[in-house]
Amino acid sequence: MSVEARIDTLSDLGVEMVLDEIRPKAAKAPRRRPDAFQATSYVVITIFSLFCLIPLWMIVAGSFTDESELAAQGYSFWPAPFSLAAYQMLFTGTGLLNGYLASLFITVVGTALSLTCTASLAWVIARRLPGISRPLTIFAYIPMLFTGGLVPLYLLVTQVLQLSNSWFSVILPIMLAPFLIFVAVSFFRQLPEEILDSARIDGAGELRVFFQIVLPLSKPILAVLGLFYAVTYWNEWFMALLFISDPDKFPLQLILQNLISNVTNAASLPGASAAQAAAPVYQLRFAMTVLTIAPILFAYPFAQRYFVKGLTLGASKG
Amino acid sequence: MQRSTTATAPRRRRAASRGTIGLLLLALPGVIWFLVFAYGPMAGLVVAFKDFNVSDGIFGSPWNGLQNFVYFFSSGDAPRIVVNTILLNALFLAASMAAGLLLALMLNEIKGHVTRRFGQSVIFFPYFVSPIVISIILQAILAGVGGRGGMLNDFLNVFDLPQPNWYTTPGAWPWILTIVKVWQLGGYTSVIFLAAITSIPEEVYEAAALDGASRARMARSITTPLLLPTLGILIVLGVGRIFFGDFATIYAIVGDNGTLFPTTDVIDTYVFRSLRTVGDFGTTAAIGLFQSLVGFVFVTAAVLVQRRIDKEGSIL
Amino acid sequence: MSTTISRRGFLALGGTAALSLGLGASLVGCSPSTSGSTSLSGQSLAILPSTAPTGWNTVLAKFNAGLKKAHGFELNAQFINWTNYAQQSLLKFTAGAKFDTALQALWLNMAQLQQQKALVDLTDHIAKWPNLSKQLAPELIASNKWSGHLWGIPQVNSAGRVQHFSIRKDLADKYGIDSIQDFDTLEKYFYDVKQKESGITPFAVSSNQTFELAIGPQGPVGLFDAAGWQNPTQYFNTLFAGSGLYFSFDEAKLATGTADPVPFWENPQIVDTLRRIRKYYQDGIINANGLNADSATIQAQFQAGKFGGQWAITDGTASNALVALQKAVPNASLEEVLPFGGALTSQKPLQTFQADNLVVVNANGGDVDRALALQDYVSIQENHDLLAYGIKGTDWAPTGENGVKQLSSYSFPGFALLWRSKLERRSSFMTDSEKQVFDWAQDYGNFTKATLASFIPDVTPVKQAAASMNNVITQYANPLYYGVVDVDSQLSKLKSAAASAGLSTLQNEMAKQVGAFLKAQG
Repeated sequence: MSVEARIDTLSDLGVEMVLDEIRPKAAKAPRRRPDAFQATSYVVITIFSLFCLIPLWMIVAGSFTDESELAAQGYSFWPAPFSLAAYQMLFTGTGLLNGYLASLFITVVGTALSLTCTASLAWVIARRLPGISRPLTIFAYIPMLFTGGLVPLYLLVTQVLQLSNSWFSVILPIMLAPFLIFVAVSFFRQLPEEILDSARIDGAGELRVFFQIVLPLSKPILAVLGLFYAVTYWNEWFMALLFISDPDKFPLQLILQNLISNVTNAASLPGASAAQAAAPVYQLRFAMTVLTIAPILFAYPFAQRYFVKGLTLGASKG
Repeated sequence: MQRSTTATAPRRRRAASRGTIGLLLLALPGVIWFLVFAYGPMAGLVVAFKDFNVSDGIFGSPWNGLQNFVYFFSSGDAPRIVVNTILLNALFLAASMAAGLLLALMLNEIKGHVTRRFGQSVIFFPYFVSPIVISIILQAILAGVGGRGGMLNDFLNVFDLPQPNWYTTPGAWPWILTIVKVWQLGGYTSVIFLAAITSIPEEVYEAAALDGASRARMARSITTPLLLPTLGILIVLGVGRIFFGDFATIYAIVGDNGTLFPTTDVIDTYVFRSLRTVGDFGTTAAIGLFQSLVGFVFVTAAVLVQRRIDKEGSIL
Repeated sequence: MSTTISRRGFLALGGTAALSLGLGASLVGCSPSTSGSTSLSGQSLAILPSTAPTGWNTVLAKFNAGLKKAHGFELNAQFINWTNYAQQSLLKFTAGAKFDTALQALWLNMAQLQQQKALVDLTDHIAKWPNLSKQLAPELIASNKWSGHLWGIPQVNSAGRVQHFSIRKDLADKYGIDSIQDFDTLEKYFYDVKQKESGITPFAVSSNQTFELAIGPQGPVGLFDAAGWQNPTQYFNTLFAGSGLYFSFDEAKLATGTADPVPFWENPQIVDTLRRIRKYYQDGIINANGLNADSATIQAQFQAGKFGGQWAITDGTASNALVALQKAVPNASLEEVLPFGGALTSQKPLQTFQADNLVVVNANGGDVDRALALQDYVSIQENHDLLAYGIKGTDWAPTGENGVKQLSSYSFPGFALLWRSKLERRSSFMTDSEKQVFDWAQDYGNFTKATLASFIPDVTPVKQAAASMNNVITQYANPLYYGVVDVDSQLSKLKSAAASAGLSTLQNEMAKQVGAFLKAQG
């Protein structure tokens, strides 16, 4: 029997085992009234969604509201008088295209690197290998608490690794997050041991088990990791501030940060042009937030696709 | 019998060691990264014991023993800010974990595909709002333009309730900050739990329904036990950071408003303000090292406690 | 010359070249009329705040063409945004990055850098550069020397810097207030605005002002110090950088050689000011959220017409607010008010003439000749204008005698590299009132030089006490500066907290250092 066919059988086996614990097969249940917990859930989720949505709406509405109205009221729920001034400022003359390209490179390459290294390291820790997993756990945890600080990192990247002005100077220092490694460990440990043992008995090596059984079963957690890492890389600007001096290589977030900081202080610079002295600072902050969140709007549905129930089972039938 | 064991034993041992080498290779890239980017810079921690001088650099500056640590403890403010740091972090951790767990459990109950996805997205986005914008919105709600009352006070006015000047009332702020944290992190944390929940097949719930279990019971007996290991790890990780104040959020909101310091001043904001202009690298490193060591003690205790409660789900 | 040079030979050549460079540079230094030494090479990297202006590459190329011809090297600038500038520039010094110059100041980390020998001593270098020497007034150089040494090129666009009130002239005219020359009239204006305009707060305060509202920074008076405005030569205030605690000195006592620093709360004038601020807070004359509202937000609200006045300083930028203000309030106009109790020249306020911004040279890898050659090059009007305002005709056009009208959105942080009082142009929308004040601020003769003008307190011996005190001031004094708490009870809290944070240490050290300074002055 091929390993793949074996996996299918094992998947079915997995379902059987879980169901056996609950109840033997029965006829499909008739429709039930929605119960109290479900009703409560709907209510709570709606309330919390509003709780999150209202400030977000304030931000979006504010980004389209004219500066003087925004400054006068302090907030805005409806963009009147309507104004695109902040977006105009952001999209013209700031080299945003280069910024998008830089951020895209950093995000795609970074997420790929992070995902592979995180999943593989987390798997080795999750396997509870005697003499290896425990030391690795402590090894991966310590940097969550102890850090040498900014200066040693700066020296490492600029002088030892000579990565100044390279996008890898943004990717590498933040490539692995111990927090996400341990979240992955926790997920890996919950995979049914029986499936893995069966595959091993059948002769599949450790690497084969990892790549052909574990990873396909781990799509939800990989989606979560990918999402979190991608978001971190997309929003990263501090590393770029430290290491990149060529403005054509600035990632998007750094361009936005610089713009905001510049505009906030520009009015007090002598010789400021009329346009600068009247820059819509209030509105700009909100517009920047919208520009930051918007790409997440695109990334999140991709990740959500993997949050489909029952994915781990019956995924590779036929 | 003897012969068959001997016959198979070497084969199994070779298979085992080949497997282990494969696993070690898997871990190698991560290990190299940690050595270079995490442990390499840690050598710079020696500056905590030095009288740092810009011209001499980290390795050339003269040693000064524990002098840098004295500053923090001799200030007399140490007990208050340490208590604030631990208290606020404990509040934030408990609230965001509880919120994340409850949100995940409840999102699991939402039937409609679109509704659920919409709900998931909406609660996730607050994580990406920068602390400065949070501060601005909070000021609009609590202080208003001119500082004499924002949206909240207008609302309280309708019911003839007292309308305090929020930005000069220190007592309210641990709760205000916790609410901000729940807003920020509730959705983010729930995503982690949701990933674990999706691995539970729907048939399990259907079968339990046939057995007469209410959804609440199912959430309690089926879903939650499967989430406990993840919850455990998140709590342990959070406990390790309990001595590190949430600088970004707290400083953006409180700033230099001294009236709020009694309840919101944490180690990181205190150190930042004190050493802003003095810029003593050695002292900041010393305090950071102190925070790390205390966090290490806390997390060791937390891991030991977790092993007692749930050995299977323990991280170690 | 042979085309094949062995590696050793090349290095030897490099060595002799360096030697001749050094000789060349000093020879150049000896002949004051030489401009156009070609013994410098490479790129001079300047660390600047803010961001690269739009069209920077074009302007820089043109600038470098001239610079290379004149001195043989090119300029390269690295911009760091304001929010992160302090931390990043300190990091670059700390990590030994290679650059020539950076913007530094006492309110950044200049004192610390100087004490740790990270800056080049420029005292003897200035004289070698003719254009630079011509543009830096002797009083300016003298006032910016620390114990006789010059550690940075001061970048100033006026002689004196006096903080004052920028008020809505249109509102003042409405109430029949003609010109405001003393504090009582100013207060009447504030109360008129409060009573007659709903929705306009008379005066705007923001979170970055703190002590400026009550204590004069290193010279003249705290903004609301009515008595101080009438007599701006009596008290002088200074502090250990990073401690936040201002000590007041009586100028009369200093003149007799007595060093008697008192913490600011023992200065009756300042305490009166705190009470006045408290009254303003309670009466709604100032906004109640000053402690938390950042300056950009307050500025935006001022430009939306929500305030009757805001803080300004004599640096020629107060009129910038008018542009946006007139969009929201079409007939708005601004007036600069210095309530001396008479005409502008009726008082000669104390000044230290210390620059708020200086260009420092990196001792660890910076080329001081290149740095100063650049400073000299921008001390010539055309070069200065090119870098500061952009390309003439495209980015800006001259107006009048010394005005500038920006045509594009090019905006360069001049105070970080090339401010020269006599070369700076006035922005085209500067109000007449501000022109008058700005002109007044250009003349050193309009100010009294403080006794402690060139005294820079050395914080190293009391580093830890200073850091502790900073926290006390932020916690207990900040609320006082904004009037949010009752003055007497807060003062007693402040005093007891300060006492346990090392007040006596700081006070004794200050007395000692001032005493030594006065003795050295003779």
